[in-house]
Amino acid sequence: MNKKLLWIVGGVVGLALIVGLAWAIANEPARDPNAGYGDPTVEGENLPMVENPNAGDPAVGMTAPTVTGTDWNGNEITIGPDGRPKIVVFLAHWCPHCQAEVPRIIDWLEDGGLPEGVDLYAATIFTNASRPNFPPQDWLEREGWDVPTVMDSAENEIVQGFGVLSTPTYIVLDGENKNLGRAAGEIGVSGLNALAAIAESSIEG
Amino acid sequence: MSDQALRLYNTFLALLALVSLAGAAALVTYRLAKGREAAGRLLGNGALWLAWAVAAVCTTGSLVYSEVVGFVPCLLCWVQRGFMYPLSLILLGGAIWKKPAVKYVALPMSLLGLATSVYHYVIQIFPHLEGISCNPTNPCSARYVEVFGFVSIPFMAGAGFTLISVLLLFYVKAKKE
Repeated sequence: MNKKLLWIVGGVVGLALIVGLAWAIANEPARDPNAGYGDPTVEGENLPMVENPNAGDPAVGMTAPTVTGTDWNGNEITIGPDGRPKIVVFLAHWCPHCQAEVPRIIDWLEDGGLPEGVDLYAATIFTNASRPNFPPQDWLEREGWDVPTVMDSAENEIVQGFGVLSTPTYIVLDGENKNLGRAAGEIGVSGLNALAAIAESSIEG
Repeated sequence: MSDQALRLYNTFLALLALVSLAGAAALVTYRLAKGREAAGRLLGNGALWLAWAVAAVCTTGSLVYSEVVGFVPCLLCWVQRGFMYPLSLILLGGAIWKKPAVKYVALPMSLLGLATSVYHYVIQIFPHLEGISCNPTNPCSARYVEVFGFVSIPFMAGAGFTLISVLLLFYVKAKKE
């Protein structure tokens, strides 16, 4: 009986210590749960969702919607028909594949991989305050990200507009905002070069 | 659940997981230092009650994540649930009715659950093993929770399975004496 009581008392005390320790560790200043979200406007017809765009994108040739939003510093960004071809990459802060791809994109840009006359944009999507690595801007700034990046809303308006189902996803747009193709997953430097070549060819064409 | 409450909940479960692993390591060390008989006497039939408590906490913890917090369980999460949820009933029955035979069902289930947790955790460390992109509706490689930089949900489940397995092994030894 005494031994049993000892186990019970020990268990309760131990549990109380764990709760106290968890409270002390987790009791950081509350984060702003809205910090990672934007309020973009998405105008135009949505591109269809495709399970695996790498196997062929049926939306090639369709005009993508025009997105106007802001980055986390409040700078206005428009992804639309501005006469310049562009690549847009869609990233999620909690996605390990995006976390692996971002440094590759940065290195690719530093090595001059992006052709003259082609722009690169990004969008933070599927943002979720209850998941790790939130908010996305802290992660991207930590990585040294210097790409114009628009933040999606909690309602996933950009996701729906561009028919994104997984991350990272890329889309190549010509100067009139027509979809030249989408790709999903870690594509690395060779994939980035391929997308850049598609974008560049629309200038020559 | 608020952001602050979720952080507290995650940290609490992460600490429990680390305490579980420490407990399992301490039990194994005790067994090696003091021998089989002393190890069996240390917990006696309490080993089954303790194993049930671990399974019950793991079951409740995962249900809170999916039903209260709203995390969508991935395929491997469901496999681990498939081993853990029945354990919380089987071990309770074994402890109440003092049925030593329960270990022959519970121990293989716990070890299979542990193997799944280890595989899931490895996928989280090396996401390329699963694929090249994240599907937000079923991401086995993406972490819903990350405490201290390394404790994720499969880590917690693995810690639970480890302690249950060690306790059942102790219980086996105790009954053989």
